[in-house]
Amino acid sequence: MSILKKLAAAALAAVVSLTALSVASSADEPYTGYNYDWWGDPIPSQNGFVVDRVIDGSDMGLDKLDYSDKSSSMQEQLKNLAEPSDIFIDQKFGKFYVIDSKNNRLIITDENFSPENTKVVEELKYGQVFPESQSTIKKTTFKNPQGVYVRTNTDGLTLIYVADYDNNRVVAFNEDLEIAMEYVRPSSDVFDADKTFNPKKVIVDSAFNVYVIVPSITQGSVQFSADGMFNGYYGANRVEATAEVIAQQFWKLIYTREQIIAMRRSVAISISNLDIDDEGFIYTVTENKTADTDVLKKLNPAGTNIFINLGYSDYTYGDYATRYYKGTNYASAITDVDVDSEGNIYLLDFATGRVFQYTDECDLLFIFGTKGFKNSQGTQKGTFRSVAAVETYNGKVYVVDNIKNSITVFRQTEFGSIVQKAIKLFNEGLYDEAKAPWEEVLRRDANYWLAYIGLGNAYLNQNDYATALSYFYRTSRSGYNRAFKSFRIEFIRANFTWMLIIVLVIVVGLIILSYVKKNIRKKKKAAAEGGTE
Amino acid sequence: MRFDLDLPAWKWPFYVMRHPFEGYDDLRWKKGYNMKVAWVIVAAFFIISVASAQFTGFLFNDTYVKVFNIVPYFSSSVILFLTWVIGNWSLCTLFDGEGTMKNIFCVSAYALLPYLFSELIVIIASNFLLRTEGGFISFFRYLGIVWSVVLMISAMKTVHQYSIPKTLAAMFFTVVAMAIILFLAVLLLTLFQQVFVFGYSVYTELMYRFSI
Repeated sequence: MSILKKLAAAALAAVVSLTALSVASSADEPYTGYNYDWWGDPIPSQNGFVVDRVIDGSDMGLDKLDYSDKSSSMQEQLKNLAEPSDIFIDQKFGKFYVIDSKNNRLIITDENFSPENTKVVEELKYGQVFPESQSTIKKTTFKNPQGVYVRTNTDGLTLIYVADYDNNRVVAFNEDLEIAMEYVRPSSDVFDADKTFNPKKVIVDSAFNVYVIVPSITQGSVQFSADGMFNGYYGANRVEATAEVIAQQFWKLIYTREQIIAMRRSVAISISNLDIDDEGFIYTVTENKTADTDVLKKLNPAGTNIFINLGYSDYTYGDYATRYYKGTNYASAITDVDVDSEGNIYLLDFATGRVFQYTDECDLLFIFGTKGFKNSQGTQKGTFRSVAAVETYNGKVYVVDNIKNSITVFRQTEFGSIVQKAIKLFNEGLYDEAKAPWEEVLRRDANYWLAYIGLGNAYLNQNDYATALSYFYRTSRSGYNRAFKSFRIEFIRANFTWMLIIVLVIVVGLIILSYVKKNIRKKKKAAAEGGTE
Repeated sequence: MRFDLDLPAWKWPFYVMRHPFEGYDDLRWKKGYNMKVAWVIVAAFFIISVASAQFTGFLFNDTYVKVFNIVPYFSSSVILFLTWVIGNWSLCTLFDGEGTMKNIFCVSAYALLPYLFSELIVIIASNFLLRTEGGFISFFRYLGIVWSVVLMISAMKTVHQYSIPKTLAAMFFTVVAMAIILFLAVLLLTLFQQVFVFGYSVYTELMYRFSI
C-alpha cells in the first residue's frame, strides 16, 4: 500500500512539475521569433532579443518632481511620459534623450534611467551664443516637439537639436540650455510657398549640416548648413512605378500641353525618418503600407542609394507579405531606423510593432517585439500599442511606445550574441574563426539560414568547394555562384584528359559512322541498279 | 517537294524539324501522320516540363519545390496541348480547314519537337553554367520557342491549306477559343462539383435517417 502511495505521490509530483515547467515556458515572451527561408516563407527561429524591462515615467522619477506651478489638469499628465515620440542615445557619453511630446519637454537621463541623473528640459534661454534676434524675449519653450538629435564636435562642444513641431523650427542648444541656432522655414524661392514647415525628425552630420524631415515635403529632407542656410533637399524617394504612373506616361505621349498640366501629378512618397551611421552614411525609411520602392535607403554623401541591385539579391524590408489576421491586414510600415556601432540596421515596423534587425548588408537577423492585440491592448511586457522610435546602446534595443507611454528595453539572448559574434568575425574576414560560432548557431537552430552562408564562405575560403556548394545550396545564389565557379575550374583541371579523350572518341566515332553509312548506301544503290538491269 | 521520300513514322517529326518550310508539304503528301509518335511527343512534353522544374540547376531554378504537385504541370502541358488541338479543330472546320482532328494533333505535336530539345539543352546546361553565362540559357530557350512557333505556323498552313494571313488569324482565334473552352470547362467542373456535393449530402442525410 505504501508503495502504491509513494508511486502516486511521485506521479503527482511529476505532473505538477511538468505543468509548472510548461507555465514557465509559456510566460516567456509574448512573441515567437521567426525568420524567412529561401522561398520567403516565415519559419520559427530562436529569439535574438528578449524583453529586459519596461520603463515609464515613475522609473525615471518623473512623479516625484514638483509640479506645483503647473495647472492641476496638467499635473497628473506630467507625472508620466505623455506621447513620447523620439529617443536619442549619445553613444560616447551614455546619455539618453527622450522627447516627451505632449508634455512639451525633453528628458535627459542615463542608461539605467535612474531618477538622480534624470534632468527635465522645458525652457531654453537666448544666451551668449545666439543673442542677436529676440533680444526682448529671454526664454522660450517647446511646443509639441517630435524629434531629438545630439552631436558633439571635436572640441567637445555638445549641441542638442530638437524638432519643435508646432513652433515651426528646429532649435539647437548647448548643455547649459542656451540656444545656439534656430533653423526655421527657408525664405528662399526654392522652398514651396504652399508648404508648411513642421519639423518631425532631425539628424546632424559630422559637419553640423542639419537634415530635417518635414512631412508635407516629398522632395526629401530639408538640409541646412550649420549657420542656418537652406542648402536644398536631400534623399528624395523615387516615384513608384504603379499602373497609374505607367498609364500617365502613356497619356503624356498623346495629350496636349494643357491637358498634361491639368493631369494629376504623381509624386514620390515622403521619407518618414532618418539615421546616420559613424561613417556618415544616411539611412532613410518610408512608412507606407503599399510602397515597395525605397523603403530603406542607404545614401552616400552625393545622395545616391547604395542599397540597389548589389549582387543578385533583391532587398526586402519588413515582413515579406501582407497577412490577414482577425479582420485586419498587416503590412509592414517602417517608421524608424537605427544603425548601431557594429553596422547592424534596426527597422521599426509601426503596423506590427516588430523590430527587424539586419546586418550591414541587409541580411535579416532577428525579428522581435509585437503589437498587443485588441484584448490585451499591449499591457503585457514586450507588446506595443503604437511604436514611435527605436535606438540601440551597448547591445540593448530601446523602443518607444507613444500610447503606452513607455520605453521597452530588449536585451540580446545568448543565441543572439553568438550570431553577432560570428558576423563580427565574418566581417573582419576571419572566416575560419567564424566557423565555430556558426556551427554553434546551427546546433541551436538548424533553420538559421545566415549560418549556412557563413559556413559556406568559411569552406570557400579553405578552397573546399564541394562543401561550400552544399552549404550555399538554397541559401545564397551569389555564394553558390562563386563556389561553383571555382569548383568547375578545379573539376575541369582534374579531369581534362578524360574529357578530351571522350570528346575525341565521339568525334572519331561519328566520322567512322558516317563513312560506313555512305558505303552501305553506295552498295545498296549499286545493288538496286544491278537489279533493274 | 520530294516524292521519293520514304521515311519510317518516327523519323517524320525530325524531318519536319529540319525542313520548316516544305517539310509539312512532304508529310501531307506522304501521309506521315502517326498518332503513336504524336502521343510520345506529347508525353515527352509533359516529362520535360516536370524535369525543367525539378532538374534545372540551382542558379537558374526558381521553382517552389517544398510542395511538389504534378497537376499544374500536367494541365500546363498535356491539357493545354489537347485544348489547342480541340480549339483549332473546332475553329478551322468552320473556316474551310482541311485538317482532321487526327492531322491537327499530329502536326501540332511534331511542331513541339524543337522546343523540347531546347528545354533539354537548357536543363543540362543550367547545371554547368554560372549566372554570368545565363545568356546561353535564354538564347537556347528563345531559339527553341521561335523555331517551334515557325513550325506551328507552317503546320497549320499546310494542314488546313490556308494562306499565311489566314493561318495567323486562325491561330490567334484558336487561342481565343482555348480561353473560352477552359473557361467553360472550369465552369462545368464547378457546377458538377456542386451537384455532386448536393447529391452526396442527400445521400448522407438518407443514411442517417435509415441508420436510426
